[in-house]
Amino acid sequence: MSPRPVLRRLALVSLPLLLALLTTIFLGLGFGVTGSGLRAIWEALLALDVSNVVQQTIVWRIRLPRVLLAAEVGATLSLGGLIFQALLRNPLAEPYILGISGGSAVGAISGILLGLPRFPGVSATAFAGSMATLALVLMLSSGRHILKKDTLLLAGVMVNAFCSAMILFLISLTQDSRLHNIIFWLMGDLSLSDMGQVQLLALLLAPCFILAFLLSHAMNLLLMGKETAMVLGVNIKAVTLTLLVATSFMISATVAQCGLLGFVGLVIPHLLRLMLGPDHRILVPACILGGATYMVGCDLLARIVPRQGELPVGVITAMIGAPVFIFLLRRSGK
Amino acid sequence: MRSVLHTIIGVLVALTALQAASAATVIDQMGRSVNVPDDPRRVVALAPSITEIVFALACEDRLVGATRFSNFPPAAKRLPQVGSYVHLDLERIVALAPDLCIAVKDGNPKAVIQRLEALQIPVYAVNPVNLRAVGDTILEVGQLLNARQPAERLVAEMNARIEAVKARVAGSDRRPRVFFQIGISPIVSVGSQTFIHELITIAGGTNVAAGPVAYPRFSREETFALAPEILIITSMDRDESFLTAKAEWQQWPEIPAVRDQRLHLVDSDLFDRASPRLVDGLELLVGLIHPHLAQAAP
Repeated sequence: MSPRPVLRRLALVSLPLLLALLTTIFLGLGFGVTGSGLRAIWEALLALDVSNVVQQTIVWRIRLPRVLLAAEVGATLSLGGLIFQALLRNPLAEPYILGISGGSAVGAISGILLGLPRFPGVSATAFAGSMATLALVLMLSSGRHILKKDTLLLAGVMVNAFCSAMILFLISLTQDSRLHNIIFWLMGDLSLSDMGQVQLLALLLAPCFILAFLLSHAMNLLLMGKETAMVLGVNIKAVTLTLLVATSFMISATVAQCGLLGFVGLVIPHLLRLMLGPDHRILVPACILGGATYMVGCDLLARIVPRQGELPVGVITAMIGAPVFIFLLRRSGK
Repeated sequence: MRSVLHTIIGVLVALTALQAASAATVIDQMGRSVNVPDDPRRVVALAPSITEIVFALACEDRLVGATRFSNFPPAAKRLPQVGSYVHLDLERIVALAPDLCIAVKDGNPKAVIQRLEALQIPVYAVNPVNLRAVGDTILEVGQLLNARQPAERLVAEMNARIEAVKARVAGSDRRPRVFFQIGISPIVSVGSQTFIHELITIAGGTNVAAGPVAYPRFSREETFALAPEILIITSMDRDESFLTAKAEWQQWPEIPAVRDQRLHLVDSDLFDRASPRLVDGLELLVGLIHPHLAQAAP
């Protein structure tokens, strides 16, 4: 149990993932609907052609915030999935399944309908929504049985169904152009990110990421079973609650910015767990880096695949995510 | 020290003068002040209606971009497209290096407009909510593009045609009940705060869907109860869905419009775009609502 091998493994795993992330970010900056190509990106990055203001603007002020936002969102969703899977000891757990995303979506749509700005208005209503669903899920699974995964999961499924109905209700109330906003947002939309958003989200997410890393050993112990964890000195209730609240907080922050992006929280943690084993001290940073890489890649595809306009990135994550997930399930079942 | 100060002041004055020479601050229809160039050469029209207005003013040489579905006049289809007007593509707009964007309040996402402004691209927003405001919009766009005279001529001609329609229907006391269907499934009609309501009223009809909601939804039962004498359906995809909708209405001969075979399909572009072609739509409507008056007219 000495920390040194863990640190070595951490470095061995994180460095290639970091490299992959940086490469994807680089590609994300280089390609887009208008003039793409690696030469253009070098020119823009090294400011070789300062006279080309348009290219500079596109790379630095349009693509860069978008790529960074995608990275933040991917990291958050993938980490959120990992945490929920550990807490519930259920491979299907994900912010969506528990209704946390749905709750933030109801909150965020209410915010959009009230004409609030994305921040702080919509973010606040989204957080309120996710906290309300979390409270509801915990209450339905009646607190004490918080670790009984079936109760929690079932409560989550029911709350989620209710949230879907609420979303449809709000949409059917909407009659004007805000409808388009809501629909694009529901499909997951990264196209309107700016640097302010990126910085703000980074400030909100960083403490949650650090907290998850600090509690990663506790997550390992939780997975060994309730009794073992208690014997080893883990305050189960405190750890579980802290992680649930922190995860809901970071999920609602991203949902408010980018809408609903599915399957990231399932695919990336599973893939990494298959590759790297079950140690959360490795998995937490790996999920952050891997999720970020995945989302930046998906956003890139969403931008360059269609000839007309662009796809909502949520469509891409789901279209890649679902088959990969089925493949993983089959493989792990053998 | 003093000379440095003088230099700074001198530069500032020069800069201000430069700015004043090349641009002017105007107030757009949303009450925002916009710094527009005196002679915009690279204009992006952020809605099909704006594209139509710019073409109608013969200023299309200034247009460098338009939105999807900007299909009139046909030459507009050749312009580079920057997404649809409800889902604008920021990167494509910026890549066109526009010196002015003209936006519509109803439809263009506010967030994109704010981002464009943050990137120092001036955005002039219009919000034409009725025929008079369409005229004002044409005049303002004319002013922006240094085409004041064509704009004034165009608006005067539109007004004359509108007056002619008013004179035409003044001869009849009948105001037939019109149900104007802009959505087929679900059935959506138009409330009082829309162009179409205004056009129906001027064309001597009664909009049975009049009310505070702009685009109210109706069940078949409600439509039935309104007993419209004329059913007008607009459709973006002309044939299929209209035939379906028509076939569905045909099952209800109790509706006066169905009984009298007064079901009509019209081109939605003539009715939902705040463009000079609204007057074409108006003349079309008069023909449908008061066919005899229309024939009798000079």
